[in-house]
Amino acid sequence: MRIRNAALFFTLLTLPGLAPGDEIHAPAQVVAGTSFSIASSGSGKATFYLIGPYSVRKRIVKTGGGIAVDGSEVEHAGRYSAVLCSDQCSTAHFYVRPAGASRISLLVHPSRVPVADSDAISAVAFVFDRFHNLDMAPETVDFKVMPKEGRELTQAISVENGVAWVRMTSGRKEGLSKIGAYVGKTSEIRVVQQVAADACNLHIRAEWVGHSFFVETAPVRDCSGNSVPDGTVVSFTKTDASGKTTVDVPIKKGIARVEMPVSGEAHITVASGVATGNELNVAGGR
Amino acid sequence: MKKPSTRTILHFAVLIVAMLSIAAQAPILSSVVAESVPSVELNADDLGPRPIEQLTSQVITRDYAHAWQAMAEALDSNGKDLLDASFTGWAKENLSNLIAQQERTGIHTHYVDHGHKLVALFYSPAGDAMQLRDQAQLEMQIFDGHKLIDSEQVTLQYMVVMTPGTDRWLVRDLETIPEAEH
Repeated sequence: MRIRNAALFFTLLTLPGLAPGDEIHAPAQVVAGTSFSIASSGSGKATFYLIGPYSVRKRIVKTGGGIAVDGSEVEHAGRYSAVLCSDQCSTAHFYVRPAGASRISLLVHPSRVPVADSDAISAVAFVFDRFHNLDMAPETVDFKVMPKEGRELTQAISVENGVAWVRMTSGRKEGLSKIGAYVGKTSEIRVVQQVAADACNLHIRAEWVGHSFFVETAPVRDCSGNSVPDGTVVSFTKTDASGKTTVDVPIKKGIARVEMPVSGEAHITVASGVATGNELNVAGGR
Repeated sequence: MKKPSTRTILHFAVLIVAMLSIAAQAPILSSVVAESVPSVELNADDLGPRPIEQLTSQVITRDYAHAWQAMAEALDSNGKDLLDASFTGWAKENLSNLIAQQERTGIHTHYVDHGHKLVALFYSPAGDAMQLRDQAQLEMQIFDGHKLIDSEQVTLQYMVVMTPGTDRWLVRDLETIPEAEH
């Protein structure tokens, strides 16, 4: 009997939670970074734990009143557990909500895009509060395209689950174009390099320089009038009595120029990508 | 029947205390063993604007499961390095800070993971970010040293942002959200 009593005594001694303890009551929700108070009952001292999604705090507190929680202890949005332990532990849970839009993470693709390309640019904005919590409150993001020249375009998109996105057509002028996302006083800007699209309306002319025969293009431009970048390949094709010959020439300083040996009559055409140009019929032998 | 001596009673009592101490530490001992990969189901039926490729959906499921496994192990053992393979950005920084605080305070969280139901919400047009909502079935145990101070079975909602890394998808943002938030 004495053995059984001793065993029961030590069992009771080692099991937590059998003695009455202090109670704790937290508000259901608080805003990130905001100081508040957690009500507690009882009297005396207890250990207070505040377990957040990315933080743990522990301190001795006086029970029977409000336990002050500093705003710096609840900066991460999410579910928190407040635990008060004296003889036993009492737990309360609450959520911390984001503190309102304060930062934008903006993804813009691609960084280099041809002009006048339909829906070629995508912009995705993630909206965060000042503590980097994804702000899921309904907001509107204003996406703006700000070309170097030309008028600014704005599109307002509703935020869903902290995310807003848009597809945009690139401008008609080559050069740097700014893509911005704006929420209230917060903004984020990315720069996209708009480059000329494929060549359009190629025009060639021929000339003799001494005994050499040259064919060259007029300045090569896209359909919006932008200069096609140097390095873009232009193909010249000559058909004469000896057959068909094609020479690929990169554009240099805006034009493509090639020397072509010609004997007899020859027919010369030009192409770049899917664009073609005028054709020349020349007589050689000079 | 012979009456037990005081010495016998004391020996017996010490034995009981020792057994109870071992029992109380059982979760700690089990936590030393590597966490198993939790089950993850992915529903991408309403995903947009970019459609998800079959391989990507498999990879997301695999990598999200591994992320939870890594997080549970990292929080259990205060092993920051375990986060490297599955987390990036704020999620990684926040978890690293949490582990540093755990080391300072002696508090740590042990997760018993009963599985995740993922719903893919947003896949960016360029394929460089995916947002998902997770309904996680968890048992969370909070220890101060070896003392269990709180234990609960919970269903938690998480908002997740994942981005592709070199050979896997990484968790970039992980936030618990209230039930009514979605």
